[in-house]
Amino acid sequence: MQAMTAEGLAAAIRSGERNAVDAVEAAFARIDEVDASVGAFLELWRDEAAERAADIDRRRDEGSPLGPLAGVPTALKDNMSLAGHELNCGSRILAGYRAPYTAGAVERLVAADAVPVGRVNMDEFAMGSSCENSALATTRNPWNPAMAPGGSSGGSAAAVAAAEVPLALGSDTGGSIRQPAAFCGVVGVKPTYGRVSRYGLVAFASSLDQIGPLARNVRDAALALGAIAGPDPRDSTCSEEPACGFLERIEDGIEGLKVGTIREVGTSALESDAARGFEQALETLARCGAELVEVSVPLVEAAVATYYVLANSEASANLARFDGSRYGHRAAGARSLAEMYTGSRSEGFGPEVKRRIILGTFALSSGYYDAYYGRAARIAGALRQQFSDAFDKAELLVTPTSPSGAFKLGERVDDPLAMYLSDVFTTPTSLAGIPGVSVPCGLDSRGLPLGLQILARPFADGTALRAARAFERETGFECRPEAVS
Amino acid sequence: MSLGVEEVRRIAELARLRISAREETTFASQLSEIVDYIDQLREFDGGTASQDDIHAASETADSDLPRPASATDGPLLDQFLDNAPASLDRFLLVPQVKATPGGEE
Repeated sequence: MQAMTAEGLAAAIRSGERNAVDAVEAAFARIDEVDASVGAFLELWRDEAAERAADIDRRRDEGSPLGPLAGVPTALKDNMSLAGHELNCGSRILAGYRAPYTAGAVERLVAADAVPVGRVNMDEFAMGSSCENSALATTRNPWNPAMAPGGSSGGSAAAVAAAEVPLALGSDTGGSIRQPAAFCGVVGVKPTYGRVSRYGLVAFASSLDQIGPLARNVRDAALALGAIAGPDPRDSTCSEEPACGFLERIEDGIEGLKVGTIREVGTSALESDAARGFEQALETLARCGAELVEVSVPLVEAAVATYYVLANSEASANLARFDGSRYGHRAAGARSLAEMYTGSRSEGFGPEVKRRIILGTFALSSGYYDAYYGRAARIAGALRQQFSDAFDKAELLVTPTSPSGAFKLGERVDDPLAMYLSDVFTTPTSLAGIPGVSVPCGLDSRGLPLGLQILARPFADGTALRAARAFERETGFECRPEAVS
Repeated sequence: MSLGVEEVRRIAELARLRISAREETTFASQLSEIVDYIDQLREFDGGTASQDDIHAASETADSDLPRPASATDGPLLDQFLDNAPASLDRFLLVPQVKATPGGEE
């Protein structure tokens, strides 16, 4: 059953050819077999998943229609709420916290009859590009256990790549779905900002955070996005536009479609394998019938710096709520409220979170606000306009997802700036609020996957997915990491 | 621009974080490198655009009106209090605002 797509599995369960109970049992068997070496899961919800699956089978047997993800075992990143379940956000400061309600995207997932089987690892508060900033576990890349799975949704990408589950939800603030998807050889979708509800997602940078799916093929990712996207009055930035079927035109191809490369996206940042992979990807797109053009988005060169100012400024405000008073860790023996705040935060947060809070506080502090936050905010606005102009010349834009394939665990943990620079191709998309799909584009000389990032104008998520599907059909890439075969 | 140990300590205090002497030194060096990198933004012109423009297309804020308490608030309150490190009846317990020599109680 591990070889089945989410779409095929759901169809087989709907028709009665297979049972949801068996699908969930098979997923747990696979997790038991390989997760000791992958380390994707933080907690498994065996009993609840079995009950949910049995209910799905029962409803089908009674003649009720089932949802598009009927019985599909799905992993949730450790920053989205499922009522009654623990949620740690990869941090010690949320040890023991139980979600009192369910996230909007997770509600929709469950309403589509997917079965959440457990929560998966992530960088603490989604701050990181390797999953190594998790305070809870080490996740390894299924293609090579010495390598990082990427981050921050490293657990989601690794669980899907290792065929533990056909589907996972992740969240993306500056590349946290797309980069781990590329590192692990799976498909990852960062939807248009506002396409998926953020209600019940632990906030990192609220103007950038988006939930999206990771899957082993484009059709499954599109199916999942269709299930979780749509209006939610509980998130004021969630679009009221209904989500149309992302599968309807997905096989239509990209014949005659203008696909742009960005002049200012320098190949100098690319390792040679990744540069070669991107060149080959452009040839593949041309074979698919795309008309390749070059566009200009000069401010992409400012994106990483802009992103780290804005995201960390928002984080420093958002994370002020973790102070030991209402939930999570509280320092023992505090003699005053201030001492409790400082003690709880200092004991609960890891070094990267502290670094980012300090950076954000600095950028917002008196005397520096205009020079850092104000300037970055203006550049982000101008960058969005430049993307909008570029989309007048091309329907889609493409870049590599990351400057290289997966790097070694431990290689960049002591060099935060080097870690930040691995987001050079993903942060512009986040700042512009546009959708980005990472689709595998082959292996590097070390046998590790590379990703192609496909970008579209706001709410043209379906067009990006259609191109990703055409690309996938042409490359015939299959996610089969040998380390966990 | 480089950040000294004193500056890092001052910002950490603003953010209600206590960091060790070793962390202060490491953070000062790492953050200086990051701020140096961020300083390249001076070379870019954002014009007059504001960040508000970014998501103007997808803003759908509901009118911000108070709603009456509903019957479903009760269980949510219980779950909220279950997550609290310390509570009494329907209230959160926290140390005194002013420091006392006697400890938390």
